[in-house]
Amino acid sequence: MVQKMLKVKDGDVSGAINDFLRQLLSSQKLQALIVPQAMPSQKTTFPVLVSDPHMLHAAPLAPLLAASTAALVSRMTKVQAAPHPIGVVMRSCEIRALLELVKLNQAKLENIVIIGIDCLGTFPLNTYVEFPEKQKPTEYLLEQWKKNPDALDKYLRSACRVCKDPIPTNADIVLGLYGTDIEKQIIVEAYSDVGKQLVEHVKLEEGKDSKERQKALQQVREDKTKKRQQFLKEKAGIKGIEKLAEFFDRCVNCHNCRQACPVCYCKECLFDSSVFDAEAYKFLRRAEMKGMLKMPTDALLFHVGRMNHMILSCVQCGLCEQACPNTIPLMDVFIPVAEQAQKEFSYTPGKDKDEKIPLIVYKEDEFLEVGEK
Amino acid sequence: MTKKTTPIGAVAVIGGGITGVQASLDLADMGFRVYLLEKSPTIGGVMAQLDKTFPTNDCSMCILSPKLVDCARHENITLHTLVDVQSLEGEPGNFTLRAVQKPRYVDLEKCTSCGSCEDVCPVSLPNAFEYGLVKRKAIYKPFPQAIPNAYVIDKEGDGKHRGCVDCMRCVKECKSGAINHEQKPEELTLQVGAVILAAGSVPFDPVVKPEFGYRRYQNVMTSVEFERVLSASGPFQGKILRPSDQQHPTKIAWVHCVGSRDAAVNHEYCSAMCCMYTAKEAVIAKEHAADIEPTVFYIDVRSYGKDFDKYITRAKEQHNVRYVRSRISEITEDPTTKDLLITYEDDAGELKKERFHLVVLSVGLCGAGEQKHELLEKLGLQANEFGFLQTRLEEPVVIRPGVFAAGSLVEPQAIPESVMQASAAAANAAALLKDARGTLVTEKQYPPERDVSSEEPRIGVFVCHCGINIGGYVDVPAVVKATQALPNVIVVEPNVYTCSEDTQKKIVDAIRTHQLNRIIVAACTPRTHEPLFQKSLREAGLNPYLLEMTNIREQCSWVHMDEPLSATEKAKELIAMTVAKTRFLQPIQEAEIPVTQKALVIGGGIAGMTAALSLADQGYDTVLVEKESCLGGYLQKVYYTVDGLDVAAVLKQTVAQVQQHPRITVHTCAQVTSLKGYVGNYESEITTAQGTVSFAHGVVVVAVGADEYKPRSYHYGKNPRVLTQSELECWLSTCTSQDIQKTETFVMIQCVESRDDKRPYCSRICCMQAVKNALKIKELNPRAEVFILYRDLMTYGFKEKYYKQARENGVVFLQYDAEKKPEIEAKDRGNLIVKVHEPMLGELLKIPVDHLILSTGLQPNPDNPAIGKLLKVPVNDDGFFLEAHVKLRPVDFSTRGVFVAGNCHLPKFISESIYQGQAAAARAATILCQSTLKAEPNIACVDEELCSGCGVCLTVCPYNAIDRVTKESDGKSVSHASINEGLCQGCGTCVSACPSHAIQQRGFKDKQILPMIEEMCST
Repeated sequence: MVQKMLKVKDGDVSGAINDFLRQLLSSQKLQALIVPQAMPSQKTTFPVLVSDPHMLHAAPLAPLLAASTAALVSRMTKVQAAPHPIGVVMRSCEIRALLELVKLNQAKLENIVIIGIDCLGTFPLNTYVEFPEKQKPTEYLLEQWKKNPDALDKYLRSACRVCKDPIPTNADIVLGLYGTDIEKQIIVEAYSDVGKQLVEHVKLEEGKDSKERQKALQQVREDKTKKRQQFLKEKAGIKGIEKLAEFFDRCVNCHNCRQACPVCYCKECLFDSSVFDAEAYKFLRRAEMKGMLKMPTDALLFHVGRMNHMILSCVQCGLCEQACPNTIPLMDVFIPVAEQAQKEFSYTPGKDKDEKIPLIVYKEDEFLEVGEK
Repeated sequence: MTKKTTPIGAVAVIGGGITGVQASLDLADMGFRVYLLEKSPTIGGVMAQLDKTFPTNDCSMCILSPKLVDCARHENITLHTLVDVQSLEGEPGNFTLRAVQKPRYVDLEKCTSCGSCEDVCPVSLPNAFEYGLVKRKAIYKPFPQAIPNAYVIDKEGDGKHRGCVDCMRCVKECKSGAINHEQKPEELTLQVGAVILAAGSVPFDPVVKPEFGYRRYQNVMTSVEFERVLSASGPFQGKILRPSDQQHPTKIAWVHCVGSRDAAVNHEYCSAMCCMYTAKEAVIAKEHAADIEPTVFYIDVRSYGKDFDKYITRAKEQHNVRYVRSRISEITEDPTTKDLLITYEDDAGELKKERFHLVVLSVGLCGAGEQKHELLEKLGLQANEFGFLQTRLEEPVVIRPGVFAAGSLVEPQAIPESVMQASAAAANAAALLKDARGTLVTEKQYPPERDVSSEEPRIGVFVCHCGINIGGYVDVPAVVKATQALPNVIVVEPNVYTCSEDTQKKIVDAIRTHQLNRIIVAACTPRTHEPLFQKSLREAGLNPYLLEMTNIREQCSWVHMDEPLSATEKAKELIAMTVAKTRFLQPIQEAEIPVTQKALVIGGGIAGMTAALSLADQGYDTVLVEKESCLGGYLQKVYYTVDGLDVAAVLKQTVAQVQQHPRITVHTCAQVTSLKGYVGNYESEITTAQGTVSFAHGVVVVAVGADEYKPRSYHYGKNPRVLTQSELECWLSTCTSQDIQKTETFVMIQCVESRDDKRPYCSRICCMQAVKNALKIKELNPRAEVFILYRDLMTYGFKEKYYKQARENGVVFLQYDAEKKPEIEAKDRGNLIVKVHEPMLGELLKIPVDHLILSTGLQPNPDNPAIGKLLKVPVNDDGFFLEAHVKLRPVDFSTRGVFVAGNCHLPKFISESIYQGQAAAARAATILCQSTLKAEPNIACVDEELCSGCGVCLTVCPYNAIDRVTKESDGKSVSHASINEGLCQGCGTCVSACPSHAIQQRGFKDKQILPMIEEMCST
């Protein structure tokens, strides 16, 4: 790993990062960049695929994850790998999702240069758009983060509040915010050969002792773990069919959650298909059995079914929850279930692209306590 | 000049145990008519009586029963039970076999096996199948899965007990009129081209060994009796109880070698399988009841087969089976408790006495019981010195031209060897009769299928009473009434026996009269009866997959016998579920896979050459690929055998036959570098010194051999006095008596770097190598001293004779413990001293040696993993190829179309390699004899529109039947899963793994299964 420093002028952190990215794009080594950028309304930021350095106005610090870049990379590379290098600015949960998609043959990493960025957390899209404070969300974030990071919790999405690890792994380049005074300088770490070659094209200063960063990283990870444990404890009660039915009773079967989920990769969801079509008499018979039948039917089946399909690859980005029009706090269920399921298989999604997803691995001496001896 | 006549395309197989069953199925599948003759009322043999099988602990009946059913169903097999063979006349290709068909007194066509006759029969006598541990009636079915699935009347009884008393109650009771007490013996004359003898052997009766107390003490039983005790369908329903008081014994002893390795009863051979079944019985007993303390009294533990050593280790370490090396002097009974006191001499020569609640005698096999001698005499055949059928090493299953033999009739052996010999015998018969292949087989003709695609479902339901089996508990009329009300159900008919011949006619008529297009049979299990009803559909012009079965016998009347109301309700609901599914049934056309009728054999050792010759003799073009420059493999390093086989002549002759055979092409210095395709349709690239050739073929036999392991210990390679067994053999082969001084001392150490943590398998052949070379040394110079330091002497079967001979010739055998391996001490001028702990003397012996010989065993070919990858077949932890099933499919792989033979499967002797090579050829020929193969009907299919190409299904498919293919679609390349119809076995694993519902299994589609669930949840 090569560590360098990116100078920040006049406390303009976003400007410095934008400058860094522009130099990368101008170097001709990258054909394009995928990076979050403010939309014309200025109310929201979305990932854009930008090829003209002059059109680059990156907002990588904006506390908003409107869509997972993992799904976008999948969309771009599934049919054919990127012909020339493309830089993708990604948060840690997005990288994790991308690695899962690569394992599932839904994306190709060839020519994808992952530029990870330390994540300070994101706000729900609606909060971001209609931000109640007087400041802009990004300014508020940076100011509070420096002053009293815990104060941010009231706005952070629950997935971010209890994030597994906000520090990017498996990136070619990492832009480090923890362990440095970001108003003065940002840490640039190059991990891969491609990353190391790329940072050569940017004016950077030599890195110093990284002890401070290591300490900061340990600190943030500890904080998140603590909050996470608390969260898991609080949510432990949502168990059993009754509780789950109650939990999902706001669901209107719109399936937006599956649309937003980066690791839900099916072309057509089983639950959108005609498999569950039934004749009128069957609906009536079901109603007759209990006296009444909640309509539309199968909402709980959908959630449990979807969970069954994707939970081992769940990177806990929380995009499903953000997509829910009826604000079902999906992470209250998905984080505890993902945690337990992944622990059963000692599997960490997105950790290593060569690690096989558990359901395709057969181990003879696994789960001996289950089933026949 | 001999006149060439076409042989008869039929084979008589004598003996319906697993050996005869396997030979029959192979021959029938190869296009020959088979007459399977069995002297008892059912096929199945001893294997049907076993509880579990080692080393996999599979339920014996569960793996055997499907084969029995296959025999009964096969168009080309005619089953004759209760047959006594009388004579065999004629010549190879044209024999006349005469036999007597004894009366069964029950008409096989009519008996539905309902069991009402048994209930009314007043005669009770010991149940021979359960070794008399319980009683049965005079009219009986030997065991529930008996084939033919019919009752039989015992008129004779067993000497002590009277049989049928002709009360005729059964006649009155039988609703199908199947019983005929007037049946008389009939002559049976069969014209056959060849005969396979597979009459088996009988367990030793320990009554003649009074010191063991068998029959005198109630709690001394034989191991075969104990198999029944263990069996869930046995006399105690799988509870471990002892005969005297039906109490649960905790201290159980097994005594090895009862009736084997015993000059006193003239059985100077090892029965080859008892060590392993003893370990299995001890382990299974312990699994049944954790409080059991098993103790095994043994001389040697002969764990020479695949994964046997690991099994013994597990028995000792995980299941706490206690092994005591000892000789038993006597067993006495404590008359008050009926416990048994075993007096034995332990390792150190000390006399000990120990109390047990139950003693199991591990009995061996007797080749020719009284009746077997009679059979051999009638056929004019010789028994060998041990009372088994005499065979020859170089042609291990050929008795004389046209007469072949297999199984424990020729030597005591375990199931896999018997199965291999059965297939080998089939291969030999098939080669002899190749010109008559297909001449006597029958194929049924059916009317063309009606197109039902545009019809509304019109369902006919046939509800079976099964005599009183269902009708006695389930209210069939109520079920019929409820079923009539279901949607799309046109006809519901109750039948006394839906499986009877007349009901089949009714089904066909109903389909025609009511224009039915879906049929449900609510009766018993599809496992045994589905093909029967499918045939009826075909006869009525319907696709056979428009049939569904509901099991209202096993799942309703049998399990809910005490709750007839609930049983009836459940039957109604199960049928409603089936109706829900049946409405969505679609016809299935099995794919036809063309077969390239040629074979590829990889490896030119004795196994590979034999396989190639057998295939070529059966008329199939074969390419033999050998890595080295000449054929012969490991056989080139074998100079002589102890049993007098002229190895050099066998090698020379086999190589010449291979090279001269017009159907065999040999490539030496060659390797298979690529292999594409699947069963019936392989395309290989063979790289030779001259370039690459490609070859299209239908099957592959892998026989790439193994080589002697070169040790790293005992100064090997550093001291010229230290040799391996085969290096010694090479030297001895050229020695004269002058070359060995009378004072010279040879010490042989067995299991060197073998049967340890690194190589935890027994190489099977090294003990005999040592005995062979020791005898050779003694032959050259009787005064030379030979010591063999061994752990367990694996001279199984008739090889035991040479162990004895070696001892008689003065070879000294010293047993050592795996924990206290012999050590050597180097002296001046390369002189060595071997130090070994001798347990009997309890002291350390120091033997100065002139020659130290190391028995290291064989190591698998290092190329095996790569070859395995190429052929898509697995290699086990030890590096040997892993067959489909160690017991019943010893030469098959689970990948269809690939077969294994020889040392690459596990180390073995020459004759074993020969019959395994022939067995592989037989199994391969069952594919090659067909011009097309029918693919599985219920295979998986991919909806390419839905498939995301994620590849999850590829990795979970156990048959490697799925590929991820990329194809151009609208100018874009799209990846999706693609299922190979030739490889898919319809297991459904991929279906459940696919999250996108892009894979569906024919006959089990979501749209068929979900309505069933819907139905179940809403009634």
